[in-house]
Amino acid sequence: MVSRVYIESELRDHPRARRLLQRLHKLPVTEIEFYGEVFNPRAQNFRLQKKNPALIIARKNRGQVLAAPDGYGLGGDFNYYFSHMLNCIYDCRYCFLQGMYQSAHQVLFVNYEDFGEQIRQTAAAHPHRPVWFYSGYDCDSLANEPMTRFTEYFVPLIASIDNAWMELRTKSTQVRSMLQMEPVARVVTAFSFSDRFSHSKLEHGVPAIDKRVDAMRRLLDAGWPVGLRFDPVVYHRDYQNAFVELLQQVFAKIDASRLHSVSLGSFRLTRDHFRRISRLYPEEPLFAQNMQLDNGIISYPLEREQAMIEFCEAELMKHIPAESYHPCEWHG
Amino acid sequence: MLIWVCALHCEAKPVIDFYRLKKSHDDNAFDVYRGDGMVCIISGTGKIASAAACAWIAAQNAREPALAWINLGVAGAAEDDIGKLFALDKIVDADSGQRYYPAPVVSSPLPARACLTLSEARQDYRDDCLFDMEASGFIYSALRFSSAELTRSLKVISDNRRHQTGRKRQQVSDLIQGNIEAIDIEATALLDLESEISALEFSAESWRQLLGMAHFTQTQKNRLRVLWRYLSNRDFSPEALLERLAQQKNAAGMIATLEQISYRDAEEL
Repeated sequence: MVSRVYIESELRDHPRARRLLQRLHKLPVTEIEFYGEVFNPRAQNFRLQKKNPALIIARKNRGQVLAAPDGYGLGGDFNYYFSHMLNCIYDCRYCFLQGMYQSAHQVLFVNYEDFGEQIRQTAAAHPHRPVWFYSGYDCDSLANEPMTRFTEYFVPLIASIDNAWMELRTKSTQVRSMLQMEPVARVVTAFSFSDRFSHSKLEHGVPAIDKRVDAMRRLLDAGWPVGLRFDPVVYHRDYQNAFVELLQQVFAKIDASRLHSVSLGSFRLTRDHFRRISRLYPEEPLFAQNMQLDNGIISYPLEREQAMIEFCEAELMKHIPAESYHPCEWHG
Repeated sequence: MLIWVCALHCEAKPVIDFYRLKKSHDDNAFDVYRGDGMVCIISGTGKIASAAACAWIAAQNAREPALAWINLGVAGAAEDDIGKLFALDKIVDADSGQRYYPAPVVSSPLPARACLTLSEARQDYRDDCLFDMEASGFIYSALRFSSAELTRSLKVISDNRRHQTGRKRQQVSDLIQGNIEAIDIEATALLDLESEISALEFSAESWRQLLGMAHFTQTQKNRLRVLWRYLSNRDFSPEALLERLAQQKNAAGMIATLEQISYRDAEEL
């Protein structure tokens, strides 16, 4: 939940903003000129703000669709991402969003139509070729769904563009809105999981694994393409047993042959993000583990990382067909 | 450390009395009152005086791991009742147009209001905000030394279109005194946040001892600080760690030892 609302003055009469203000009518509202004047100042403490973040209702004026970073995605030739929100309602210690912005407030850009127009233009630039649009880069795609009604606009949009594909990435159980729609073969909902131990220690506020597996199964049963993301795999003393247990928990309810894609990657952050997050949480064991810098990325020493990935891959392959597997490649 | 910044002594008096702060005779640039974990500075009237007082008191307390700030004073409003207390959620400097947004982390029961900081007193009350003469200077300066979550500006209405009581000292004190319990709730919440941030820092004494045990390059110091901060936060006894490090011959050996302890501890997540 959010504790207060900031709204750009010019959006007072925007239909989505009005609906949000009605929904959040009990919260204090502060008018601002531009979201950056609350979101960007340096004198903010992300850690303190994360305890009780505000919602900033804003308009994104340019750069609604951007090229995805190298290595992001499922191997398609044309990968883009867009962020209708900045920041996440969850508080996962390993997530790069912890160090991405000065502020922990959640920014919601309500000008969906401008995003839609850029998505159309971007897809049109690659005619007859599949173009992927990733929505879960700067936020959890679905976690705020009751408030954002993201899928209501973007799923039909993608369905209407023949060569557009979209990945929604989530740790939430908010699938009700999608279950009320006809499934779209080019909209993949990817659920991220960490093992039980990492979940309890590092994924603050994230729904229980079982509940997310149930949400995933409901989408699958309704005919939606669904993906699995075991990313990041975090090292701890019992990671092997915990990972095996996680796979058992997931595949007890999920028919692996029906999965769109499965990916796996170990914990990693860019050096800048690692520095910023570890300064915010100096007591966090995750950042005190043995790590190495490789090509601007901080991760486990190569030997440990290889051992982790080999073990997890081998276990994963006991459950899934090889063709649905997409390893997360990030080494240069 | 919580720092109260008030323009006038009559605005500060209820705080000084409530927290039993004692006048400091060591400071002569500003009147300063000190107490347990807090200090109150009387800045004088105006945004420049407020900014100067903030900078001065921040420099005096530079060794504190975190500083929390409350600017407490009176303000004018068009219609709000005399004596009503507000927490500012937006501060606009009338001269520059610069806007600031204090960022309360703890939900406050106080009503929030924007405030326009003027360079000179005016009587043309506008309906949409409060008026004062310090808030923009206060927040401009306080945010140099702290974060928006640890910075609050609380204003009690002293004058409106119908009544002007702002110039009578005793009445100003009484207006603030009438809200002292609500003000104390805000202060306590802010102090809790400040304590949370301060607790992440290690003791200056243990750090001094550590640096005295070997010659560290700047790079080694940076690494040492990360390790020491982690282990201090994980309840390792600094004395026991220092004892183990005494067995090492040089800085590299000490860092390697601390790394091994950290790695082992961190494997438990």
